[in-house]
Amino acid sequence: MGSQKRIGKELAELMESPPAGITVNLVDEANMYEWKVLMDGPEGSPYHKGKFQIKLVLPTEYPFKPPTVSFATKIYHPNVTNDDKGSMCLGMLRPDEWKPSSKIGAVLEFARQLLSEPMPDDAIEGRIAEQYKNDRKHFDEVAREWTRKHAS
Amino acid sequence: METATASTSFPDSSSPRSGRLRRFSQLRAYTQNISSGHRSRNSISSRVPWLSPSPGTDSTVTQVGNSTAPCPESDQPTLSRYTSAPPASSHGLGIDQVSSTDSSHSTPPNESNESSRTSNVMARLRSASAVQGRPSRTLGQTTTSDAPTSSPDPSAATNEVLESVDTPTNDIQEGDSNQPKQKATIRFFPYQDTYQSSRPSLPFVPVTRSLPSESCVVRVGRYSERDGIPIPNPAEPSDAPVGFKSKVVSRKHCEFMFINGQWHVKDVGSSSGTFLNHMRLSQPGMVSRLYSIKDGDIVQLGIDFRGGEEMIFRCVRIRIECNRSWQQQPNEFNKNTENLIQNLGKGDNVDYAGCRECSICLGSVLRPYQCLFMAACAHVWHYKCISRLLHSPDYPMFQCPNCRAFTDLSAEVDDSNDQDVEARRAASANVSEEARSETQTPADVPAANNDAQQPPAQEAGRPEDSELVTDVENLHLQEGQLLGADTESRGSNSPAPDSSSNDLARSATINIPGFQPTLPLNVPSGRSSHLRADTPVRSETSDDNPLTPRNDSGPLAFDGRATMQ
Repeated sequence: MGSQKRIGKELAELMESPPAGITVNLVDEANMYEWKVLMDGPEGSPYHKGKFQIKLVLPTEYPFKPPTVSFATKIYHPNVTNDDKGSMCLGMLRPDEWKPSSKIGAVLEFARQLLSEPMPDDAIEGRIAEQYKNDRKHFDEVAREWTRKHAS
Repeated sequence: METATASTSFPDSSSPRSGRLRRFSQLRAYTQNISSGHRSRNSISSRVPWLSPSPGTDSTVTQVGNSTAPCPESDQPTLSRYTSAPPASSHGLGIDQVSSTDSSHSTPPNESNESSRTSNVMARLRSASAVQGRPSRTLGQTTTSDAPTSSPDPSAATNEVLESVDTPTNDIQEGDSNQPKQKATIRFFPYQDTYQSSRPSLPFVPVTRSLPSESCVVRVGRYSERDGIPIPNPAEPSDAPVGFKSKVVSRKHCEFMFINGQWHVKDVGSSSGTFLNHMRLSQPGMVSRLYSIKDGDIVQLGIDFRGGEEMIFRCVRIRIECNRSWQQQPNEFNKNTENLIQNLGKGDNVDYAGCRECSICLGSVLRPYQCLFMAACAHVWHYKCISRLLHSPDYPMFQCPNCRAFTDLSAEVDDSNDQDVEARRAASANVSEEARSETQTPADVPAANNDAQQPPAQEAGRPEDSELVTDVENLHLQEGQLLGADTESRGSNSPAPDSSSNDLARSATINIPGFQPTLPLNVPSGRSSHLRADTPVRSETSDDNPLTPRNDSGPLAFDGRATMQ
């Protein structure tokens, strides 16, 4: 299948030269469609020093369909659902925004960027977004607390 | 719904402070989007009118700016929408600048790093000059005396302004300034908003309009039989009205016009509204001012009536494609692609600078002997990789997965030649002449090797002639074959046909200067029949068609892989 070839290529590339703060592995060596990603909380954000496990699932139609990114580690973030799924809402992963030319590396880097700069206007958790916008201090506190509790 | 959207249009009652903060955060989100190459949904924030544009003051300003026929009263609320602060503050100006770079920004022109790097520099220079050219105008409006960029404001906003001045814009302006004569073309594509409401909008055939002259206006309204059947994609420039078969579209709904290199939309008093990226342009029945539009914008006509269950009550959502003409003219990217394709399969000596990969499989598209597909935007993929996007339900419409340009795959082939094309064709003909002589040489070498295995009499010639010898031998073998076709059956039993073919060979070779005519005569009779046996193969592969390079050393000969092994 064409998708496997491409996924293999991207995986090899990401394993060889991983982007800053990101390590990539397969959940199961036999299955290329499920990735286990470890992401360090970026410096300067309340997630700093946290290690977040992310599950990246590629559809069989990849790259025609976007991958899904979900946080296995609980995180307090306006763009990540606050449930056991932890799905992340990335603009570039929306079906109508997705381009086959986007690579997984770019997706992960974008996800990490979103940790340092949440996008409250594009939020999936409205309450957290509201807090992020109006009460930044408190937001940072809670996010740091959660990072300490769940991601270290 | 109506009141809600109307209030977002004029939220001047919100408290200035929080409003300003919110704008900044949106702004940050927006610049962040751009830096990550992501087209934002919040593009409302990019729509900022210039304060008081006087048309044609200088070229940079008119290209970047939008409304050229503004009504100042209506400008005021929209300004406060973005700044929520008095227009005299430098914050407001700063945001205007950001938005100007934003609004001229659309999806990056291509994926090639090199060309985007150069355009990056260009854009930086351009936006710098745009900033310099602006203060005189803004000063007329505002009361502050310092220029917006030099104002020593330590706030984060100005920092971001400066940053975003550096963000790469694309070549749209460049293209506009280079080709003032170009046709103003706008295209409407149906857009399904999968994000917010899952309700489908009215399907329609994509529409193209190229204005015959700049003063023309494309009128959009409800489809009516009386207007005659509109042609969606006329070959000639046309400003024919565009009609949609929906009851929520007014007869006179909105108009698109092209002013100073920029497309604009204006609601002409529709009852159910025209929305630009979810923002309503005017109250029901009111004419709106001009709003600039850019490539990728979504224009919605009307609102679904009765839930839009019936087709006739659905709203129309249009994805705008404009300012794409830079893509249709020769540019660095598509010229480069042309070169690559011309050089395809010509061996290792060719310059593969700007080498491209197929964005679907990430493999190279430059391997010879592959089926490729090149879209009108000059992006190239393997046919196998792209085929599922070609044979989609939308066929014949094809959207480039790299740059999102739409093309009609069933469109007539454009075989009109202009001078440029002719000149290039002549040049490329020369190139292919040279290339032919180049590619034939390596193909001849294996032939010489074949001959080297044959009796020593063949090797008697001078070394520099050996190539000539083989060529000439091919020649005489070919001619011998004409005769040998019927002598073949008689075969090697009788020596008579052999000698006759040798005679013929001598007559063919005797005129070659510096050639020793004794050589063909020395060929033993048994060998000539052996040679004749393999001539048909040669004549099929090379002699029939001199343009086809011969390859006797296996399938990998032109690939470059052979040398690697």
